[in-house]
Amino acid sequence: MSAANRIGGRRVLIIAALAIAVVIGYVATQTLQSAAVYYLTPTEAARRGIAPGQAARLGGQVLAGTLIYDPASRALRFTIGDGVSTVKVIGSGAPPGLLREGAGAVVEGTFAADGTFRATQVIAKHDEVYTAPTGSAVPTHQTPAP
Amino acid sequence: MISTTAKTTSALRARPFLGAASVVALFVALWMALVWSPPDAVMGNVVRILYVHVANAWLAYLAFVVVFLASIAYLWTKRPVFDAIAVASAEIGVLFCGLTLVLGAIWARPTWGVWWSWEPRVITTAVMFAMYVGYLLLRNLSNDLERRATRAAVLGIVLVVDVPIVHLSVTWMNALHQLPSVLRPGLDPTLDPSMLASLIAMTIAFTFLYAYLMTARVAIERRRQARILEARA
Repeated sequence: MSAANRIGGRRVLIIAALAIAVVIGYVATQTLQSAAVYYLTPTEAARRGIAPGQAARLGGQVLAGTLIYDPASRALRFTIGDGVSTVKVIGSGAPPGLLREGAGAVVEGTFAADGTFRATQVIAKHDEVYTAPTGSAVPTHQTPAP
Repeated sequence: MISTTAKTTSALRARPFLGAASVVALFVALWMALVWSPPDAVMGNVVRILYVHVANAWLAYLAFVVVFLASIAYLWTKRPVFDAIAVASAEIGVLFCGLTLVLGAIWARPTWGVWWSWEPRVITTAVMFAMYVGYLLLRNLSNDLERRATRAAVLGIVLVVDVPIVHLSVTWMNALHQLPSVLRPGLDPTLDPSMLASLIAMTIAFTFLYAYLMTARVAIERRRQARILEARA
């Protein structure tokens, strides 16, 4: 009979496994909450002093009245904000269909010397609220050509 | 003397009913998801992927929690049936988790604008998928029933910690994936009532499917265990 087959050995295994799980869970919670960053808000980016030319990912809300897309020149402009700071974003190409004023966006790219953010990728973020459409207009979803 | 008669356990008797219930429930849930429920005010009919994507994710959570419980039960009692339950649930969980990732990508393209992004919910779910694939691979390292089951049980206890991490990742960090719409503090769903009903129907359907697949897979594992024991004897 191996040691693990004795009654004491089994219980020790369970307790050891649970303890490892708890430790992993604790370390993961602490690390993930503080260190891991998927995107920076404009305020966080300013606080970290992201230098121009450094690859970064920003996230925020597209401010009302700032979203402009010109299909002819494929120039995309909008401003994202987090309630405290704002960043002007300049990109090219059609934005995702869900990119709208008042909704979230995540942009990847680099800061230019003039403080604007040159986006190489624009991702629309949607919130967790889902409602039936009011009125007769059903949004038809268009995925724009790349 | 080698016994060749299979005991007709209650699980085996339940299987045809679980199969029928799964088919019926899936039909009803699919009708609710694709026809009955309204489109979303923001994303239109694309929202209908939600019903299958979220149901799959919840069932993956459930399956891995069952692996956790069966692992503890195996270490506690050393009864092989719990090891059978653990491996069956892990396999089905890996299937549901994989489907969650694929359906998520299909949903992401028209909504986020990209098929994939290494954001917290995606990363933690992909890690969970990889870990349980690892759990299944670990089992193949040994044909000794007890050693295999004991090793797997320890891993099954440790790995479950990723389930709450996957769920809470969006609340802990800046993430692209939206916050939970149902499993949130306060438990006030942010879904239209008919959408919530469709999601619950789909979850019930997938739960029947999970139970059906479990009865089938556990029976297979029990037969394999019996064969190995006979070969030993």
